[in-house]
Amino acid sequence: MRILRNVFRRKLRVLLTIFGITIGVLALVVMGSMAEKINMLVSGGTRYYSDKVTVAAEGSSMFSTGPLSIGKYDAIKAVPGVAEVSAGIATLLETDTSVSFGIPATIQGSDLRGQELESFKVTYSDGRALRADDSGSVVVGSDLVGKLDAQVGGFVSVRGERFQVVGILDKTLTGPDTSVWMTLADAQRLFVQDLPEVIRSQVDKNDLVTSFVVYPTEGTDPEQLALDVNKAVPGVKATGPKAFQDQIASATKIFSAILYGIAIIALFVGGLSVINTMTMSVNERTREIGVRKAIGASDGQIVRQFLGEAGIIGLIGGVSGLVLGWIAVVVANKLLESSDLNLFLVTPRLAIGSVVFALILGLVSGLYPSLHAARLEPVVALRYE
Amino acid sequence: MQTLETIIRGAGIHKRYVMGKDNYVDALQDASVEIEKGQMVAVMGPSGSGKSTLVHILGCLDSVNSGEVWLDGRRVDKLSRRDLAQLRRTEVGFIFQTFNLVPSFTALENVMLAAEYAGKSRREARELARTALAQVGLADREDHKPTELSGGQQQRVAIARALVNSPKVIFGDEPTGNLDSASSTEIVDMMHRINRDTGTTFVLVTHDPDVAATCDRVFHMLDGRVANGNGRHAEDGRAD
Ligand SMILES: Nc1ncnc2c1ncn2[C@@H]1O[C@H](COP(=O)(O)OP(=O)(O)O)[C@@H](O)[C@H]1O
Ligand SMILES: [Mg+2]
Repeated sequence: MRILRNVFRRKLRVLLTIFGITIGVLALVVMGSMAEKINMLVSGGTRYYSDKVTVAAEGSSMFSTGPLSIGKYDAIKAVPGVAEVSAGIATLLETDTSVSFGIPATIQGSDLRGQELESFKVTYSDGRALRADDSGSVVVGSDLVGKLDAQVGGFVSVRGERFQVVGILDKTLTGPDTSVWMTLADAQRLFVQDLPEVIRSQVDKNDLVTSFVVYPTEGTDPEQLALDVNKAVPGVKATGPKAFQDQIASATKIFSAILYGIAIIALFVGGLSVINTMTMSVNERTREIGVRKAIGASDGQIVRQFLGEAGIIGLIGGVSGLVLGWIAVVVANKLLESSDLNLFLVTPRLAIGSVVFALILGLVSGLYPSLHAARLEPVVALRYE
Repeated sequence: MQTLETIIRGAGIHKRYVMGKDNYVDALQDASVEIEKGQMVAVMGPSGSGKSTLVHILGCLDSVNSGEVWLDGRRVDKLSRRDLAQLRRTEVGFIFQTFNLVPSFTALENVMLAAEYAGKSRREARELARTALAQVGLADREDHKPTELSGGQQQRVAIARALVNSPKVIFGDEPTGNLDSASSTEIVDMMHRINRDTGTTFVLVTHDPDVAATCDRVFHMLDGRVANGNGRHAEDGRAD
């Protein structure tokens, strides 16, 4: 490739420039993969919540729920517009809740009612779905397989109890990946077991749930249904899809802002470096430009030559940044696997986007030096020493 | 005697280089010259007399302040940048004192470049370049970089490059100025042969009376004028 030989005429300088772009793209890929992971989680959550109402104890927020009595079940079911209600327990997989970064693993117990109304379909990489009579069995989310050492037919230990694995979920890139699913009764037992002594003696473990999932009848607006449930059933807080979306929108904005911040820094550092390199290259090759014009190069051909060189610099920087970033992400995910964190996700759009970004960066930064080269008068360039 | 047809005519050319306010050089002052098709002519004169400027202007590389330049029956001193580039790639070729090959390209690639600028495809350009390199006797050196070639060989690559688009005129600005006398003779002989075989007109700036002596005609420049530019047969063509 002739163009590569021209680009690499000044090896060190070009390598430094490429290195600058590489660093920028690397940062972009690493931060971007984190943002993508969060986006996937969020969009999974948005999808999950999009058509249903969740009911928690009054005074609870999205991230902490107090216990509810299963006795509310009939009252909620009786609200007009409710097709089915499912009672569930959600609790942390590990009780020592030392603050950790990322998404904590959870236990999800459910009475499995309303499954046929569930629009968020999961598939199984092995085994089968949980059934209501599967006492002592669990289905394991894909990110927890390694941590729990789970395989279908084998046993795993959850909060000190042995459970048989009946199914393993395919990757969903969202909540279910870090969950263990079991029957409501099993989850209630584990949940109560861990309550403080004073409370434990006062509650009936068969009465406790942390939330209800309410499936609306066809044609019922979940937002309206949430209001109706709140009105009709005292002591609960019903939430429609919108509240969920509002809360997460602000969280994802921060990540987008960080990503854009890095992109802009990469733009400046990489762009200035390309401008500098290409300007020096044009100056050093003034005489060559004169010769090329003397043998018939048009202005456009000169522009294309130098733009091509700038584009190549951007492209090489972009690809190497992507490769290094990808490696960094894979290594980081591997290191974090044992702590059930899967923090980074390189999506196709991120991969393609960062390389295209670097290419455009090279081209845009190379534009001015290239135009400058093309405008040189052939004799002036020829007489240049 | 053959019938002579004018291929290049410069009439009353003025060229002023302005470096700053009240600081300028009149490189050409009322320079006129007529060159016949198929001839091999030399341009001589002291340093700074305007030889390079003249061939740059006649070769469509530079503009004039006043005067006329005609190339093969076409007036070229008023053409746009674009049209001048077009003429340079098809009508004229250039050879320089310092060879001016692209250092990172092989001999073949250097010659191909000119053909590609003229709009030839990669394949056509390669064929044409091979033919041109064979014409200058360098068929076996096509993969050599300029640094791997002697001065004489580099200049032969440059001749092949000037030749590849079959131009009407090839200009040489002191093409043997950087060569030892053996290579110099070789290059001059080669240009004569090409001149005879293809009928390409050559205009060579030279300081070397021996080179000039081999030419059909010698123009002498002094202070931006061509002393003997007008009149077809004012001289017998031998250096005096
Ligand atoms: N780009 C330029 N800017 C200013 N002066 C120039 C330029 N090119 C040539 N000159 C001047 O024009 C005169 C003629 O130069 P040139 O044509 O190179 O002469 P020669 O080739 O005969 O030595 C010289 O005085 C030279 O310094
Ligand atoms: Mg000169």
